[in-house]
Amino acid sequence: MKPTAFLRSSIKDFVLNVNNDYRYLKTGYYVSMHAEVLGNKVIPSSESIIDANRTPILLLKASKGGIPTLPYLVTDSVKRIMAAFDFPVVVFAVNPFSYDGFKTARNKSALYRGVKSLGMNYKFAVCVQPLRGEMISFKSIFGKCEQDQTIKEISEKAYSVFKIPVCKLHVQRVDQEAFLCGLQPLKKEEISPYDMKTISEEICQMSNLGERLIG
Amino acid sequence: MARIACFVEKYNFSDPREEKALQNFKQAAARAGHEFDFMFRENVSAIPKYDAVFIRATTDPLFTAYVVSRTASELGLKVVDDPESIQICGNKIHQYALFEKYNIPHIPTIFINKEEFHHKQIVEIFREFGKPVVVKAPYTSFSRYVEKVACETSFREVALRFFRRSDVLAVQKFMPTAFDWRVGVLNDEVLYVCKYMIPKGRWKHGAKLRGKPTVIWGRTFSMKRENAPARLKEVALKACAVIGHGLYGVDIKEVNGEYVVVEVNDNPSIYAGYEDLRNKDVYGKIIAYLVD
Repeated sequence: MKPTAFLRSSIKDFVLNVNNDYRYLKTGYYVSMHAEVLGNKVIPSSESIIDANRTPILLLKASKGGIPTLPYLVTDSVKRIMAAFDFPVVVFAVNPFSYDGFKTARNKSALYRGVKSLGMNYKFAVCVQPLRGEMISFKSIFGKCEQDQTIKEISEKAYSVFKIPVCKLHVQRVDQEAFLCGLQPLKKEEISPYDMKTISEEICQMSNLGERLIG
Repeated sequence: MARIACFVEKYNFSDPREEKALQNFKQAAARAGHEFDFMFRENVSAIPKYDAVFIRATTDPLFTAYVVSRTASELGLKVVDDPESIQICGNKIHQYALFEKYNIPHIPTIFINKEEFHHKQIVEIFREFGKPVVVKAPYTSFSRYVEKVACETSFREVALRFFRRSDVLAVQKFMPTAFDWRVGVLNDEVLYVCKYMIPKGRWKHGAKLRGKPTVIWGRTFSMKRENAPARLKEVALKACAVIGHGLYGVDIKEVNGEYVVVEVNDNPSIYAGYEDLRNKDVYGKIIAYLVD
């Protein structure tokens, strides 16, 4: 069923909301919100959509859910960041939901630039984490990904905590360990035929269980 | 003794009436033996040091205030506004859908979707609601992102502008009144009642002067909550009950003796000498709720 058709409907059933873009105020968000207003169980929930896209909340909830995370600081003050962490650091936007991901700052001027651009000229705060290893960004489809075992575990756990079927995850690998750093929506063109196959398989599996599908 | 963090932004101190109200909160907390600290966005990592968080900065799921609220809630702190209330009140589509579900009397509303926005739908809306109609973005606050349109051209212009951020908008029947009731509600009880007057020649409480950035606000008349109409209070409490049990400001229109909800706002304005004028216990009641 198309999202727009679902938004007009009053279907009472379990809803699987499959969308590449779950950003707040976008159709993907409204489908989950509408399903909840109708009293339906829905994947993902509107709360998860908001929280998973807000890096500090993502990290807080992930940590509570047993996913390894690094320390983080929410601020718009470069001085505070420098007092808390040594360079290099990774800077994530806290407020506007964007496709931009993160910026790496290896010195003070790069940090100023990162805070200024991701904080929309200091209008919003940013979320900063130390960069202790290598940043890896990958697609996570129903928790499945094309990565090694350590990162696969993070992807699966992130899906079990937030239930975002389609997203991009940012993970930091430090020696043999991996830490969840951020989540962002995927652009349509980033979804490959192989991803579509994975999505179809998951949907078929759920559909065999007799659940109604929106997407 | 409890430690209360009051999350504020610099703009909360730009209006002396709001600054005075914030100081009144601090004094009320001190009188009750509690610590009350202002917390700015550079200090949000200090949340775990507190027992309760009171948010006075503008709330929206996109703003830092939501991060503060959710963090406090996840850490088990008492928080006003709670994240669930911010989610519902920050998105009027969500709110009106709940009003519809729970039969809360509200202004007749139709949702329009970006993908299905076309001439036929505009014609149907004008036929149902008459002209003009009010187009409202879901993230409206302080009378912004709410515009009156009387023809298809202006309807399209406003809708396309609001569609840049949200894929769904609300369109409402235009119901002009001389004032909007504002009922302050805390934990399912009426806290204060005011009349927000509409400035002369305008149709909403905060109106922008043509061609200027200045916003003119209508006058505020406060009344003792005991003296407010019982049906008004009943409608306000019913509307808040579908959202949560926190602090809300309910905007209500009185049309032909009936009360219809315009919207429920979390994080309602509290200015010294205005909302608190006839109900001086506003500050103490909110502090008591935070430490309860």
